[in-house]
Amino acid sequence: MASDHSSSTGELNSDEFKSVDLQLQSSSSHRSISSNTWRASSIKEVGVIELGSKGGVRYGSRKGGSGSMSMSRKEIRDEDSRLVYVNDSVKTNESFEFAGNSVRTSKYSVLTFLPRNLFEQFHRVAYVYFLIIAILNQLPQLAVFGRFASLLPLSLVLLVTAVKDGYEDWRRHRSDQIENNRLACVLVNNVFEQKKWKDIQVGEIIKFSANETIPCDVVLLSTSDPTGVAYIQTINLDGESNLKTRYAKQETLGTREVENIRGVIKCEKPNRNIYGFLGTMEVDQKQVSLGPSNIVLRGCVLKNTSWAVGVVVYTGMETKVMLNNSGAQSKRSHLEARMNKEIILLSFFLAALCSVVSICAGVWLRQHRDELDIMPFYRRKDYSGEDEDNYKYYGWGLEIFFTFLMSIIVFQIMIPIALYISMELVRLGQAYFMIRDDRMYDESTDSRFQCRALNVNEDLGQIKYVFSDKTGTLTENKMEFQYASIFGIDYNGEKTEFYGEEGGYYAQVDGLILRPKMKVHVDMELLRLLKTGNDTNKHIYDFFLALASCNTIVPILVDTSNPDEKLIDYQGESPDEQALVYAAAAYGFMLIERTSGHIVVDILGDRQRFNVLGMHEFDSDRKRMSVILGCSDSTVKVFVKGADTTMFNVIDKSKNTDIVTATESHLHAYSSVGLRTLVMGMKGLSSHEFEQWRSSYEAATNSLMGRARLLRKVAINLETNLSILGASGIEDKLQEGVPEAIESLRMANIKVWVLTGDKQETAISIGYSSKLLTSKMTQIIINNNSTESCRRSLEEALIISRKAITSGENASLLALIIDGTSLVYILDSELEEQLFELASKCAVVLCCRVAPLQKAGIVMLIKKRTDDLTLAIGDGANDVSMIQKADVGIGISGQEGRQAVMASDFAMAQFRFLVPLLLVHGHWNYRRMGYMILYNFYRNAVFVLVLFWYVLYTAFTLSTAINEWSSVLYSVIYTSVPTIVVGILDKDLSRTSLLKYPQLYGSGQKQESYNSTLFWLTIADTLWQSIVGFFIPLLAYWKTDIDGPSIGDLWTLAVVFLVNLHLAMDVITWTWIIHASIWGSIVATIICVIIIDVIPILPGYWAIFHLAGDGLFWVCLIGIIVASLIPRLVLKTLVQHYRPSDIQIAGEAEKFGDLMESRSAEIEMNQPHR
Amino acid sequence: MNSNPSTPMNAHAPSSSSGGAGSPDSNTPRRNSKRPKYSRFTQQELPACKPILTPKWVISAFMLVTIVFIPIGLTTLFASRDVVEIIDRYDNACVPGSKSQKVQHIQSATSNKTCIRSLTVRKRMKQPIYVYYQLDNFYQNHRRYVKSRSDQQLRNRGDENDTSTCKPENEANGMTIVPCGLVAWSLFNDTYSLSTSNSQLTINKRHISWKSDRDEKFGSEVYPKNFQNGGLIGGGRLNESIPLNEQEDLIVWMRTAALPTFRKLYGKIEVDIEAGETINVVVENRYNTYSFSGKKKLVLSTTSWLGGKNNFIGIAYLAVGGLCFLLATTFTIIYLVKPRHLGDPTYLSWNRNPGGH
Repeated sequence: MASDHSSSTGELNSDEFKSVDLQLQSSSSHRSISSNTWRASSIKEVGVIELGSKGGVRYGSRKGGSGSMSMSRKEIRDEDSRLVYVNDSVKTNESFEFAGNSVRTSKYSVLTFLPRNLFEQFHRVAYVYFLIIAILNQLPQLAVFGRFASLLPLSLVLLVTAVKDGYEDWRRHRSDQIENNRLACVLVNNVFEQKKWKDIQVGEIIKFSANETIPCDVVLLSTSDPTGVAYIQTINLDGESNLKTRYAKQETLGTREVENIRGVIKCEKPNRNIYGFLGTMEVDQKQVSLGPSNIVLRGCVLKNTSWAVGVVVYTGMETKVMLNNSGAQSKRSHLEARMNKEIILLSFFLAALCSVVSICAGVWLRQHRDELDIMPFYRRKDYSGEDEDNYKYYGWGLEIFFTFLMSIIVFQIMIPIALYISMELVRLGQAYFMIRDDRMYDESTDSRFQCRALNVNEDLGQIKYVFSDKTGTLTENKMEFQYASIFGIDYNGEKTEFYGEEGGYYAQVDGLILRPKMKVHVDMELLRLLKTGNDTNKHIYDFFLALASCNTIVPILVDTSNPDEKLIDYQGESPDEQALVYAAAAYGFMLIERTSGHIVVDILGDRQRFNVLGMHEFDSDRKRMSVILGCSDSTVKVFVKGADTTMFNVIDKSKNTDIVTATESHLHAYSSVGLRTLVMGMKGLSSHEFEQWRSSYEAATNSLMGRARLLRKVAINLETNLSILGASGIEDKLQEGVPEAIESLRMANIKVWVLTGDKQETAISIGYSSKLLTSKMTQIIINNNSTESCRRSLEEALIISRKAITSGENASLLALIIDGTSLVYILDSELEEQLFELASKCAVVLCCRVAPLQKAGIVMLIKKRTDDLTLAIGDGANDVSMIQKADVGIGISGQEGRQAVMASDFAMAQFRFLVPLLLVHGHWNYRRMGYMILYNFYRNAVFVLVLFWYVLYTAFTLSTAINEWSSVLYSVIYTSVPTIVVGILDKDLSRTSLLKYPQLYGSGQKQESYNSTLFWLTIADTLWQSIVGFFIPLLAYWKTDIDGPSIGDLWTLAVVFLVNLHLAMDVITWTWIIHASIWGSIVATIICVIIIDVIPILPGYWAIFHLAGDGLFWVCLIGIIVASLIPRLVLKTLVQHYRPSDIQIAGEAEKFGDLMESRSAEIEMNQPHR
Repeated sequence: MNSNPSTPMNAHAPSSSSGGAGSPDSNTPRRNSKRPKYSRFTQQELPACKPILTPKWVISAFMLVTIVFIPIGLTTLFASRDVVEIIDRYDNACVPGSKSQKVQHIQSATSNKTCIRSLTVRKRMKQPIYVYYQLDNFYQNHRRYVKSRSDQQLRNRGDENDTSTCKPENEANGMTIVPCGLVAWSLFNDTYSLSTSNSQLTINKRHISWKSDRDEKFGSEVYPKNFQNGGLIGGGRLNESIPLNEQEDLIVWMRTAALPTFRKLYGKIEVDIEAGETINVVVENRYNTYSFSGKKKLVLSTTSWLGGKNNFIGIAYLAVGGLCFLLATTFTIIYLVKPRHLGDPTYLSWNRNPGGH
């Protein structure tokens, strides 16, 4: 595994290794995906690590150093840099006023709250529409509604949002205050003093001790360790819990008192890249380069180091963690995008209605142009003044124009702007339930489901493709050492629960009992062999010594309840290495101490100290690492561990041919059961060889130019002619429930693609163990090195696939396995189309050895060509790009860092939660939202149409019989709550049914809840209902003495009853909340109507009471409701009878389940296996 | 970011929900589990009723509608049939000639506007007999018109000058008009006196308006002032010594009609009129509907529980009831001929055609 523990020479900048590699990698990634937009820098770093075979890719922070050395040589341009005078904050801040260290996550202050909050709210189109309508209404020519009534809905919405924002901001204020007032130790006048965090300035020297949180970004000057090492935990930064090492530069190490250090640091301007930093420090006229391993960031915690001193370079809002503190980027849900198209249609309807009204008004005015002056209900002339003016008449053309604008005001809710607000509320409610679902709660990590983005909830119900990372997502990323092949002998012994004597091996040091923190199953035979000395024992001894030494693990002692006993916790960036060291410890080779110069290993009760003479760290070219140990008997040994592909090249095969072949076959066996394999080798160094190596090694480490290249050369020269020690097999355990989850997803007709950095064999074996692949499947493997060969394999594969499809109904399922190298040639070339065609025919697609940006490229391959929704799930930084590209991105909040979670829309702890998330919540969310949108269209349109019909009987003058307050309250009080409540709470099917029949998920994929048929049906139904609702009262009260407000009240009540009962007809699950909201709305409407009618200065005074005393009113009301709903009921019944949807049948089965039990059991047995 | 110094270093960090720097809940150590508290509500398992459109339910719903609607339809039809209604359009008959002649006649202050009409009663009319005038093509719901009034002024003497909404009829000769506005200005002022062959029929004009209007909407302290003194006379005049809440014709008129064809109550006749009688009507035909082709009708009508004569509701109810009966039988047949087993999993799409999906 990527082990870049620095060797004893602290100034050796390990990051240089990566620099060359980086360019190579990122150029190919750029090819694979053209739109490399977001956080280009961080993705680039991620691209560095392609060490697939060793899997558990840890993107340790130091690794991200993106070639700081080589870059810093190029000199940071002055305008892109900041100068920090060490221990001289005055001078530092002289020319540039750097930000203080106080952080402000809050947005508003008391003064700015109102203007800023309003400004932000009006960023939404919906509010702007509201505002324009309200402003139009304020023009005297257009005043349709009263001033106050027209402003009410807008101000209500603004008020609610402002209160919500204000409350959130107040909480942020409070937490900022706590954060800013914490204390830190700062050097003031050469004495360390306590200072509040917010008063820390750039250039000051700051000291922190173990377990303290670092208040700002600090370049290390010295630490308690003589070699300048400091261990930090970055859990708050990226969620990684292991310790990382940071170094102070030798030039500033404790040779002098800290307070005397003078120097200038020149570094980059603040940026959000937490894995990168570059700068130079000038100390004693010496130029020292600084990289990411020399800086500790705000939020990190110092561990295992009693103190560290550093100089502040970035403060407050300019620290990397604060710059990274932006929310998830917003995606737009598919359903909403479709809805927006329909809303455009609705605006055409609106325009049509307004045109009809204004044209008719024009015609009417023209026809009556001679009568207008004296017509009692028009009377154009104003005789009150001296001159006979026209009163409110602006000429024929303008009258038509004003009529048009006025009709927009009157019919404004045709465009359901409130729908956007309702949708937000509904999504909030849905999120509430998703977060609180205890079946998506993970006990082991104590984490709930998280909704990070609120706008793609309903997309969860329509997913067709799932792109999954493997390590950490399908598997646990908790490595366990399983098998060892030592010197050609396979110790794969029966898996036993045997941990060695008395619950595992332990060592006694200074009267303390040390136990490894994790227990490992041991092979009894191997343990026995270790204890008896014979010839093979020597190899076993070396093998385990290699495991214990050839790594970058730091042992840390943890107290237990027993004061005489301590646990050893092996901290390291690679879970593979941890597993190996724990295994070695279990067999009696316990790593007890590691400093930069030596290690102490307790070997079967015997404490031995080895000098670490040198270390060649892992790089992705060599794919191996080596350590040079000076043993107590003054021999020098080189231990190498690495991926099999590269290791066999450097192993001297002539020595032990049969052992090499035996090991190779073991390796094959291991990887075919899904284990991750590593090969160990060693050789002894003669003093001559050692001297030769040392001189070149020192020359390389001291060279200023091309250090990385030189070091690699030294390593390659050293790592030759190794004798083989053996190989290890580490199990990457599948997460709980993964095979079942994949089976469910497959039944739900979701295609699961696995994208992994692992090698092909491992990927395939994980595919088998997770039931993604079955033995019945035909595997198509594409594994090529050139465009031409890719083309050929694709063509062949297509022929196979077509054959398989045409060969009959029970076409053998196809599985496509493709590797990253081939993808380089295929993606973004004309071959993409073929790949897509092939992939869409395959049931399973496994992509192995893919780079992070290729993952995004594969997601784009699907997204570009289909309308199908994609979901990406992953846990590591290497999944960030695909999580962002997919329609829905899910981060696993597990072992690896928080990067994936930060970029995701939803985060959860286990892969298996995908099943309840998609099949249950996704399904519900989609159905609810789809229905809610259609219902809102209907609800608003039916009201608008009733207004419109009436306008036709008022000489097209846009007077409304319905009281203006009722018009305003219609979408605010009368009908708003039930649709939101139903949108949050209605369940078409129970969780049990949805999980029992994953196929029911198809309803979302087939867009059954929202499509243009449903839209047009809804519109037709709306038309019918509005006609019934309007014309029954019209005809019933024609030629009577009915007054406007009374019939208006009838229409109001009729429409409100109608839309609420319409909703009631479609509610499937009647809980008390839904009952309360629907009947409550009706009651609230009646109360509102009554209140409006007891205000004596409104023309409708007492109308409702007169009306209700009249039999005709009740007859009309009942007639309207029944006649309106009949077509809907008939259609619904017919559809349910003749074309019952799966949802419908499952719902019936739920209700009449007891009767069906016996029958369905029978069916299931006959059910064809898919 | 979590900045709790006592976080055990090997702990799997409980990932804070937002990851926002310094979010308050991550500052305090969390000892208690984050497991969501179980409740039927949060798990969306509240007890619920799930109605399903079973054949039984559908058919009985339609039958219920049939059973309720047909009787209601029949009763309303009968009620409407029992209502006796006499309608007499007199605007054309009273003023002969072309449109301009009619307008000239009606606008002239001197012309004789009395007009005699005689109506035959075909069926016995039981008291109370309501006397309405009906206007056709008169848009009392016109925007300009409905808004041109001041309810404050009508109600409260102190708000006499609250006439901003009354334009263009807010003041005349520089003085405020009470009651202001186009609505009041256009007050209908035809009068009728009715007699049968042997006696005068008294038309009771008391309490023809809503009690609520008299009590609350129109003030007892408010007297007409400067009314119909402008350049153009719109309609009736008001006696300036009677407070508005007693000017019932005005109150009725001011309750603006919803539809362009409307009736307004003129008065009540509190005696029965036998069939075959002829009613003589003396109309003072003063109101100008001629200039905009409006129609004026006199209506005498008895009343039923549903109001006046209107067959529409009865027919509509019969139609809906009949339709529902038809639907109920159709669905019965459908369910008998081609029943579907409710909730039968064999109907699930993937069970019907196992091959494809």
